[in-house]
Amino acid sequence: MQWVLIAAKCKKYREIVVAIKNQERLKDVQTIKSQFESLNYICSEEIATAVYLAYHLEKPVLIEGPPGVGKTELAKTTADMLGLSCIRLQCYEGLDESKAIYEWKYGKQLLYTQVLKETLGEVLQGAKGLSESVKKLQSFGDIFFSEEFLEPRPLLKALKEKDSCVLLIDEVDKSDHEFESLLLEILSDFQLSIPEIGTVSAKKDKKPIVFLTSNNTREISDALKRRCLHLYIPFPEAQLERQIVQARVPKISDQLNKQLVSFIQELREMDLKKVPAISETIDWAKTLILLHSETIDAELVRQTLNVILKFQEDIETVSGELASVVGRALKNQ
Amino acid sequence: MSEIKSTVVDFVKVLRNADIKVSPAETLDAMDTMHLVGLKNRAFLKTSLSMALSKTPEEKEAFFQCFENFFSFKDSETKDETETGDDFSSEEYSNEKISEPSRGRGGNGGQKSRDSEELDETVGESSLQPTSRLGKLLLLGSRSEVMIEMIEAGRTVKVNQIIVFTQKGLYTRKIMDEMGLKGLQDEVKELKNGGSADGRNLARKLEKSKETLREQVRDYVEKQFLLHADETGKELREELLKKVKLSNLEKRNFKDVQEIVIKMAKKLVSIHSKRRKVFKRGQLDIRKTLRKNMQFDGMLFDLKWKSKKVDRPKVICICDVSGSVSNYSRFLLMFLYSLAEVIPKVRSFAFSSDLGEVTALFEKNSLEDAMAKTMRDYGNGSTDYGQMLEDFKSSVLKDVNGRTTIIILGDARNNYGNPKSEILREMYERAQRVIWLNPESRSSWAAGDAEMPKYSPSCHQTEVCNSLTHLERVVSNLLKYSR
Repeated sequence: MQWVLIAAKCKKYREIVVAIKNQERLKDVQTIKSQFESLNYICSEEIATAVYLAYHLEKPVLIEGPPGVGKTELAKTTADMLGLSCIRLQCYEGLDESKAIYEWKYGKQLLYTQVLKETLGEVLQGAKGLSESVKKLQSFGDIFFSEEFLEPRPLLKALKEKDSCVLLIDEVDKSDHEFESLLLEILSDFQLSIPEIGTVSAKKDKKPIVFLTSNNTREISDALKRRCLHLYIPFPEAQLERQIVQARVPKISDQLNKQLVSFIQELREMDLKKVPAISETIDWAKTLILLHSETIDAELVRQTLNVILKFQEDIETVSGELASVVGRALKNQ
Repeated sequence: MSEIKSTVVDFVKVLRNADIKVSPAETLDAMDTMHLVGLKNRAFLKTSLSMALSKTPEEKEAFFQCFENFFSFKDSETKDETETGDDFSSEEYSNEKISEPSRGRGGNGGQKSRDSEELDETVGESSLQPTSRLGKLLLLGSRSEVMIEMIEAGRTVKVNQIIVFTQKGLYTRKIMDEMGLKGLQDEVKELKNGGSADGRNLARKLEKSKETLREQVRDYVEKQFLLHADETGKELREELLKKVKLSNLEKRNFKDVQEIVIKMAKKLVSIHSKRRKVFKRGQLDIRKTLRKNMQFDGMLFDLKWKSKKVDRPKVICICDVSGSVSNYSRFLLMFLYSLAEVIPKVRSFAFSSDLGEVTALFEKNSLEDAMAKTMRDYGNGSTDYGQMLEDFKSSVLKDVNGRTTIIILGDARNNYGNPKSEILREMYERAQRVIWLNPESRSSWAAGDAEMPKYSPSCHQTEVCNSLTHLERVVSNLLKYSR
């Protein structure tokens, strides 16, 4: 008995320690930034500020920006940093509440009714007539619509998580308008209403840290925006991008890093269908390392262009003026 | 803390002026943010507030500008302060901070600008001290103290309610009065009349600093005007431009109008981009229902109904680009192409006598260029609606089906030629809707060579359309009917 008590106390103590630790980790923007750096996520001041505000104001963050700038990564890294689990809900057209919030375990319900058929007979044996049986049945309550038979989906799971978590609602712009409205309740009050059970809300001080990402394929409704802090992550400046490449591809030499980032920055100035994002820069850096190249030149770039550009017409556009672009990049590095 | 509140509210007002949508809930968020972040670090506050208050990249840009304007005095004093390392100067903050140097004034006040120090010395030499409140402030206070006093006065006279630039003088005067101009003037008069050399000297000094102050106040009012009134004035102008007849617009207004059109189009997009599913209750979709209920052992729990998804309208737009109507065509096309998000399929044709398709022109070029090219290629020649309809029949009519909306914009003045309204009738029968927009008022639709009476029976809708408001209504209806 005593052991149980001590174990419980220990657990509680550990929880408190974790909470204090996280408080410490999110003490100020600089601390967050350096912690992210130690996890190989190089970020700007704004990004760190957003995490700081999200934690202290208990508000969700809506992250927008071009694809491949590390929106999803931010949520994952935050979870890593705080030692919390990251629950991810990938949005797509047609996503509805049975996939996002909860679903009844229909099979289990059916199985139980089959198995319990005989028990049911015994229970109802004393009852005479239909009305009495129904009355007796009703006194058992909604057994088949209780938490036992509830299959929690990401949103509900995030609320029920014992010691907080990071909830990532990815690509919210891909979902339907109806789903957006469905999110409003959890975003503003950290609670969800399930008709059969009632309202489930997050424990105080254990509210999940929520990130939503959007690629801007369509305008997010004002109602949703109003409930969130808004963070826009643009393509990084050359300086920051170099740091990112350095952190992600440690083997790269300084010179190559400079040249490659400078070339990518040049490309972003051009009129392309899809400009290369950070993830492409990193892929390219890895490619060049693999090819044992120390500097870039027009020929090398031409051969590896398909790593950074994903459309044939873009590749053709760039190939046309490759020499001058490389020249400019080498000059500006 | 109540000062934080009023600052946030003022700031939000400025943001709304700059076209950033800020709801009361977001204002509350901003206050929480301010409490959490504090006022010590300006850059930190800026990013934090930008996250709470501005929600699109465009809004963010506007926000940063507003922030810079609102939380700074355009004054050398502030620059001095920023250089000394403390880079924050909201109204409130300077309030707290400035109290220090003024307390320690006896020991050579730290942050005085050069000319006030100079004044200080000379005043120190003479035994005379100014007696009026404003006089004391001007000669003995630091410039930031003067600044604070000025802002306080500005608040009392409600300078943030300034609307038109002619009010600048009035508010300058009001602020000066509030700061105690009268006392100062009386003192100066007295000193001048007093006759002592010291007195005259001091009077001169006071006069001089009064002028400097007037300059400062004028600057301040100017800035407040830009902050608060500029946009209100703009709104007024926009309202006006929306109602003015498009043919009366001058070239210099085009840029403004284009902005307005884009804004209106954006509003329409956000209203109509919701693709609501219209359920036709009563028609069971048996295939779907069976498939869905397979998981329930074939028991029909979950009924599926036949649903109808909303289609985006297919628009064919025929514009008269002859001299008199070209302006209208210009803005109609501008409207339609700004709506690409909700009406992706617009085909446009231009004519004065011969009809030509200009869709590609508008998709590839900027609006200005496309318009100019269209005018060049199709703008000359006398209008011939009969020829236009003939051309339409021979080349485009086969593409018209029950989902097509045809918009014709023109005055229907056919130079007494053959109207060929039977072709329009054919279009009427094939298309979902035929809408005729006529820039002339209804009373002149039958006058002279106008053929409206012959055309209008073959249109689902005829509208007078000669201002942006009309255009907006037409386009909005177009979107509504298509569902």
